[in-house]
Amino acid sequence: MPISILPPAVQVPIHDDAAAEDSDIEMSDDENDFAPTSKKSSHNIVTPGETITTDPQWMRGHGTYIPPSSTTIISTVAGTLHKTNKLLSVQPLRARYNPEIGDLVIGRIVSVQTKKWSVDIAGPMLASLPLSAINLPGGILRRRTAVDELNIRTFFSEGDLLVAEVQSLHSDGSASLHTRSLKYGKLRNGMFTALSGAGGGILSRRGGIVRSRRQVFTLQTASGEISVILGVNGYIFVSKHTEGKEGKETSITKLEESVSETLYSSQNDELDPGILKEIARVSTLIKGLVACGTKVDEDMIVRVYETAVDMEAEQVSMGEKLIDTAGGPKGVVQSVLARLQGGS
Amino acid sequence: MPLDTSIYPLALLRLDGRRWNELRRIHAQVSVQAAADGSSYLEMGNTRVICVVLGPAEGKDKGQRGAREGEAKVGVEIAVAGFSGMERRRRVGNKRTSEMQHCLSTAFSSLLFTHLYPHSTISISIHILSQDGSLLAACLNAATLALIDAGIPMSDYLTACTVASSASSSSSDTATSDPLLDLNGLEEQELPFLTIGAVGEKVSVLMLETRVRMERVEGMLAVGVEGCKRVRAILDGVVRTYEKKFG
Repeated sequence: MPISILPPAVQVPIHDDAAAEDSDIEMSDDENDFAPTSKKSSHNIVTPGETITTDPQWMRGHGTYIPPSSTTIISTVAGTLHKTNKLLSVQPLRARYNPEIGDLVIGRIVSVQTKKWSVDIAGPMLASLPLSAINLPGGILRRRTAVDELNIRTFFSEGDLLVAEVQSLHSDGSASLHTRSLKYGKLRNGMFTALSGAGGGILSRRGGIVRSRRQVFTLQTASGEISVILGVNGYIFVSKHTEGKEGKETSITKLEESVSETLYSSQNDELDPGILKEIARVSTLIKGLVACGTKVDEDMIVRVYETAVDMEAEQVSMGEKLIDTAGGPKGVVQSVLARLQGGS
Repeated sequence: MPLDTSIYPLALLRLDGRRWNELRRIHAQVSVQAAADGSSYLEMGNTRVICVVLGPAEGKDKGQRGAREGEAKVGVEIAVAGFSGMERRRRVGNKRTSEMQHCLSTAFSSLLFTHLYPHSTISISIHILSQDGSLLAACLNAATLALIDAGIPMSDYLTACTVASSASSSSSDTATSDPLLDLNGLEEQELPFLTIGAVGEKVSVLMLETRVRMERVEGMLAVGVEGCKRVRAILDGVVRTYEKKFG
């Protein structure tokens, strides 16, 4: 077998190429434009194993650890460092959703048990939705009987999507949900999108879903109203807006009338093509916003949606290509964001 | 025709033109799969590996077999592409991959803070696209990157590399030897080598499949730990560039 000594290969800096052609500059611009309050976080980035401090006056928070018999605080995740008084915590850049009480989440029923449902909410464990934590059709307030247990699949069955709130957490971190509000319940007439890692840096990250802002809102489109539900767990549902499902606050005495029989219907209504197109557009734009690392909230979605509609209209009338559809959702949103910066 | 006797002592250059302490080109990317919780792509020379992490999530088997009480289970699956080697192989799943799976699973079970995720499973899937030596080391490095991308807490980077022992160039004494860092496929076939994975200064994975003289091991370990430090610096750079872009 002949052996030849080859000259050493020239190191090709593929990284730098990728970094250069990507939209580094654009991204820093849009931070200035859209999130003026968020401070530059690039100064306090830490990676696993990095010593944060050796000073014993600091306390360790999430994302850090202290090795036995020392006072050194070491980071365990890659992310940004936060200081809250004397508490040091590291918020990972991307992470799976970790449930907290009061979170609005979207989930999918995985299995049906005798008195509860198991719901996938993209957390470390499946959440449980007890039969006693849902509204009965007709809004009747009573104890759940054995008949209800037998009819459990008439409320939710496997594969159904629902929007719920985290009611309590168990000792092992698994969540218990409830849908005892007219805002919550089964989802239909829409499109589901799952974003991974969006449950991570909600506090620090520019991208991702902003917790505790308005997460359920309606969007005016040319072909009617559509409602957007942003779950904290990175699950998103965009659907046709149905009157009376949310917005109209009903008192507990009128619950009976408002919780109609259609609450647990699994049948989609007939939707006209115009609204289906708008639902798909909003869904794609949200996906693109996350891919661009931009934060996702009501204001941002409305602005990007309106600009995207304008650009499409111009594209049709002028005949020139304004929206980059080849790059997928990310490309579309990048071209929309470029327009937003140019205009403002 | 062993290379350690013929060419290496003359020019002190290895088959691909490297010196004894030089790593091959390491190129890595994180977040390459949008749908996964964490993912990475790693090249060490011509060895190419994709790693995808799912979890921590509710595992398929409720029994939590193989996991200690109150800790997450770390499952590893390695798929070797049929086209990855020199000759196309139809049946690739064998004892070697299951040994590597076990090795990765035990290494990461002790590295990750699994006690934070009781009753759940972290599954690591690795696809080997091209093999050219240091396969286990590449798998360990790719899995470390993917786990960092998934935001799973760990005490430090687990980085790995291979070290071989070749006959000494200066003396004919068999007890002394020249260690070689980061082997490619050809060198791996001809030289005794060990795979070393280090967490900081501590060795956490050590795999030696060939016979080697006792006296040579210490020198190989020293070179290996040094190599792991350099790999760690490269991977840390990859994570930081990614964070700067999206952080």
